[in-house]
Amino acid sequence: MTEAALTSDIAVGKGRSLWADAWRRLLSRKLVVASLIVIAVFVMVALGVYAGLIARDWSEPVGPRYQRPSLEHGFGTDFLGRSVWRKTLYGAKISLTVAFLASLISICIGLPLGAIAGYFKGWIDELIVWLFTTVNSIPYIILILAFAFVLQGKTLFGYPLRGISVVYLVIGLTSWVGLCRLIRGEVLKHRDRDYVMAARAYGCSRSRIILGHVIPNVAHLVIINFSLRFVSFIHAEVILSFLGLGVKGEPSWGVMIDDARQELYRGCWWQLAAATLAIGLLCLALNIVGDALRDALDPKLRQGLE
Amino acid sequence: MSMKNPLILTPVFLLVVLFAGCGGDDQDQASGKMVRYLSLGAKVRGMDPMDIGDTTSSSVASQIFESLYQYHYLKRPYELIPCLAEDFPTGEDQLTYTFKLRPGVVFADDPCFTATQGKGRQLVAADFIYAWKRIADVKNISKNWWIFEDHIVGLDEFRDYTGRLKAGENVDYMRPVEGLQAPDDFTLVVTLKRPWPQILYLLAHLPTAPVAREAVQYYGKSIHNHPVGTGPYMLKDWKRGNKIVMVRNPRFRQEFYPVEGSPGDREAGLLEDAGKVLPFVDEARWQVVEEDQPRWLIFMRGQLDASGIPKDFYNRAIDPSRQLRSEMKDKGIRLQIFRDPSTYWYGFNMEDPVVGTNKPLRQAMSMAINRPEYVEIFTNNRAEVAQGVIPPLFKEYDPEVINPNCQYNPERARELLKEAVEVHGGPLPTITISTPGTDTLSRQMGEYVTLAMDNIGLKVKIDYMDWPSFQDRIKTKSSQVFQMGWVADYPDPENFMQLFYSKNVSPGPNNFNYRNQAFDTLYEKAKAMPDSNERRRIYHQMENIIRDDCPAIFLVHGVAFVLHYNWLKNYKPHVFGYGLIKYQRIDVAARQKSVGR
Amino acid sequence: MVSYIIRRLLYAIPTILGVLLITFILFNLIPGDPSYDIAGKSASAETIAEIRRELGFDKPRFLDTEALSQGRIAAAFDSQFFNHFRNTLTLNFPRSLTSHEPIWDEIKSRAPASLTLAAPMFIGLIATSIAIALVVAFARGSWVDTILVFICVVGMSIPMLSYILFGQHYLAYELGWFPILGYESGMQAFKYIALPCLLGIASGLGSYVRFYRTVMLDEMRSDYVRTAFAKGLSSPRVLFKHVLKNAMIPIITTLVLSIPFLFLGSLLLERFFSIPGMGSYFLDAFNSRDFPVINAMVFTTSLLYVLGQLVTDICYALVDPRISLR
Repeated sequence: MTEAALTSDIAVGKGRSLWADAWRRLLSRKLVVASLIVIAVFVMVALGVYAGLIARDWSEPVGPRYQRPSLEHGFGTDFLGRSVWRKTLYGAKISLTVAFLASLISICIGLPLGAIAGYFKGWIDELIVWLFTTVNSIPYIILILAFAFVLQGKTLFGYPLRGISVVYLVIGLTSWVGLCRLIRGEVLKHRDRDYVMAARAYGCSRSRIILGHVIPNVAHLVIINFSLRFVSFIHAEVILSFLGLGVKGEPSWGVMIDDARQELYRGCWWQLAAATLAIGLLCLALNIVGDALRDALDPKLRQGLE
Repeated sequence: MSMKNPLILTPVFLLVVLFAGCGGDDQDQASGKMVRYLSLGAKVRGMDPMDIGDTTSSSVASQIFESLYQYHYLKRPYELIPCLAEDFPTGEDQLTYTFKLRPGVVFADDPCFTATQGKGRQLVAADFIYAWKRIADVKNISKNWWIFEDHIVGLDEFRDYTGRLKAGENVDYMRPVEGLQAPDDFTLVVTLKRPWPQILYLLAHLPTAPVAREAVQYYGKSIHNHPVGTGPYMLKDWKRGNKIVMVRNPRFRQEFYPVEGSPGDREAGLLEDAGKVLPFVDEARWQVVEEDQPRWLIFMRGQLDASGIPKDFYNRAIDPSRQLRSEMKDKGIRLQIFRDPSTYWYGFNMEDPVVGTNKPLRQAMSMAINRPEYVEIFTNNRAEVAQGVIPPLFKEYDPEVINPNCQYNPERARELLKEAVEVHGGPLPTITISTPGTDTLSRQMGEYVTLAMDNIGLKVKIDYMDWPSFQDRIKTKSSQVFQMGWVADYPDPENFMQLFYSKNVSPGPNNFNYRNQAFDTLYEKAKAMPDSNERRRIYHQMENIIRDDCPAIFLVHGVAFVLHYNWLKNYKPHVFGYGLIKYQRIDVAARQKSVGR
Repeated sequence: MVSYIIRRLLYAIPTILGVLLITFILFNLIPGDPSYDIAGKSASAETIAEIRRELGFDKPRFLDTEALSQGRIAAAFDSQFFNHFRNTLTLNFPRSLTSHEPIWDEIKSRAPASLTLAAPMFIGLIATSIAIALVVAFARGSWVDTILVFICVVGMSIPMLSYILFGQHYLAYELGWFPILGYESGMQAFKYIALPCLLGIASGLGSYVRFYRTVMLDEMRSDYVRTAFAKGLSSPRVLFKHVLKNAMIPIITTLVLSIPFLFLGSLLLERFFSIPGMGSYFLDAFNSRDFPVINAMVFTTSLLYVLGQLVTDICYALVDPRISLR
């Protein structure tokens, strides 16, 4: 075993104990456990919808149009007599997919760019800083609209972009800046720390240092960022739906709220209520977990957020 | 930096906000002026007649500008009466029209008339020629060239000439156009290349209104902000995106309220002002309101004199028997129902390899839609089921015809679909429907159609896009099926039939890219014919060809519901005319009594 | 110091050029051609082609290679790409394609309306949420904290649309406390912006409070605050003197950088309350592919953003000696 592997084990090991410790602290709080269960339920529902086990027949009318919530109709029915309950369940798939994939895209762009910029400094850093300053200085709403129009109806690797794929691509491609800046700042601090110096002295390759040492040590930032941003992605889906650029052909929570904009005046409040309730519950759980995560991983966090 | 500031600021700020919220907002109503309150749902782009192509801008600018002809306010079916022309044109053949102008018409006073210290001058025939040349001028990129294109002798050549000019070179508006002559100030002679029976309808169209050359020269590129017309009103204030205020034009010529109308008009009180001098209203105010809820709320408050009924407020206003609800009646609100000259459809791109060559498929899709249900869900029964393209408002509409392709028949549709598979030579691919709208209603319609096609075993996918993307799609012939509608500009079915003429294929108005030799021959024949029984027969033939060929799934014809308060007198909806405020009157006392409660 | 400012100014140039590049690429990729709209609904193919020529859409995209090969250098650069850069950088914004109004005039008449609504709303939102966040941070862990956080999350979950529909119907229509809609400039404006302002604050409060709570908590845990507590200083004093003061730095940074975006206004509030601001202008421009208008707005905002960044950087450099004037 080489010396390099040894040092990397030390660094990662340090991380592991941090994670294990954090996990223990999370589980020690009842509210957090409850929130984790809520999130797990939402994820299971979403997976169930994907597997075709839940709400597969959401598009089938189950009764007359615009039925109030009752024992017979559950959460009530919409303008085509479809079950609002099933649509809400189905919406979990859309919202979680959008939030998850958008986060993934923004991490995939933001993390490596931030790490490279922070580690290499010099012209690469300047280039990446230029890129995210430029993107940041364009109003978000314009960027998101423009991207949505550009992506709509295009194909990516032979896969047609419509509805949901446009939504998460748009959100992901426009939201990596914050993470990128955060990681860059953190890596800038880490690059001169002892463990990195040591790895460098042992002759580790640069890619090895970044992947094996630096990134594991800033990974907790990604997790926290993810848990807090998740909520804003779910909201972004709602706003896109209002602008008419959201998911179509499938019921999402944003779409249900958009429907309600007009239906409220018929006295039809249950679509709005169901979607808001679902968003509220998920947001609440994510917030509690996000906060708890921050608390658990706190010692390193403070400098990172500045 | 004092750290306490933000905390102190909060209550102070809230206090200011709450305090500012108090106070009345109807000081205008106390002044006793006769004010007409209207709303605008979309942006008014400009008030230069040459450049107006949308109904919102037309509805505003038409109070200021007048054309040679106008529609009779009360008579139905719609008929033309002279406006700036003294009478109907004379001419021995169908190619030369001689118009005599009404004497004593002057432009409204405006600083642009520098020679007369701002006093508006007399209208002359040359003003028409000037206005029409402006439409022809390529440099002006007018929306309305389609009106004159290939009709008037010499005007197309004038357009070519303007197109050849280099940047910076001025267009010579004195350059003669053979087909537009003004032998004297009050005579306008128009020579046509070929017969054009629709000409008078188009000369009642706002874009053909005369424009004062002085105004165009004085205001230059800002002419769209400074309308100078001959009509009953003048622009007083215009804040873009907010409001428009117009006041009575003191130098408006003498015009009188019509003395006869349609049956029932006298009983409805529409002839109470017969023979009186127009206009009645002193001031017209438009408020921009883009969303349904606020528009409805200010109408219910009495801050608008009239309003349509947004889809989801329908049940609050109208009961199931299509009568106004009693609480609405108690507020002094009245309901008017009238037909639109509109047809809505899903069109097929006939150049598409799948749907274009597969008639059974088109028929099956057309039969899959339950039109009465569609009407109920999406319009609250404010539409009529279509059997073809010509709406019931037209006298050429034949109420006897039942189009089998427009009847809901899922069984037959499934059979046809089997034929369609044979024609296609294999299982049908998913059909894509392009929809020009990303709003809630478009999405809901998409969901409905998907369900309907699913029901007969056809997979469709809806491609939602905004209007510019949609236009891109159909103008480049790259759509498969598209959702669209057409509202007629004038009461002649030619306006609908041109949509199927092979020389008009995309990017022209024939978005179906429909080509049919027999149809073309009939179209060319009918287009040159004045209204007659013979022409009506030809139109029926043409419509039958389209019904049978099924280049579109004809859905519905629009029916409009309009509410207005009883203090708005002489209110009769009109689907072709726009400059109508001059006929209307406000019972100021009644409004004050009702709103001031 | 002067050389620092000059260097920072020079740094702004690539950003501005980057914005221009991105807008050019996006405008060319977005489907939709304004000439169809301009041509009118019954226009023939020739008319559409003529209009495209008049608007310069038929010019080569990047470089007129034919002109270049003939040695006409000036003509070679008469392309869409170079015209876009030239016109924007010289602030030579053309007229709007749809309204023919000079874009600059329309921005000047609309931006004040947007700001009249957005500025008080923004200040009110920040002030209220910082106040609440302080309380929450102070009561960290107690039932007050739990309940307030719960309310915040519920508030965040309710879509803004619901606030607007409710406020406009009940507070304005039923109760008549506010005008339903409208706008006048000057002092009159307060009457009209009051309700949208309140609704904006109410709907934004949840997420803002949560954000500031986090910032405050970070400060609360710092060593100097712990030391201050350990020294036996009273809690409110520590809160104001140390926590708020230090939290102000990240807060002000985010504030200054969000000011440029204020002038674009609040889309939803402007639509529902008929406030003639930038929101509806922008949406309208987008829906008719009025690229000159969108370009002008993007350029102005990014210019303001870069300036805002410059100002904060310079302020930092002035205040904090640790930042080197490299």
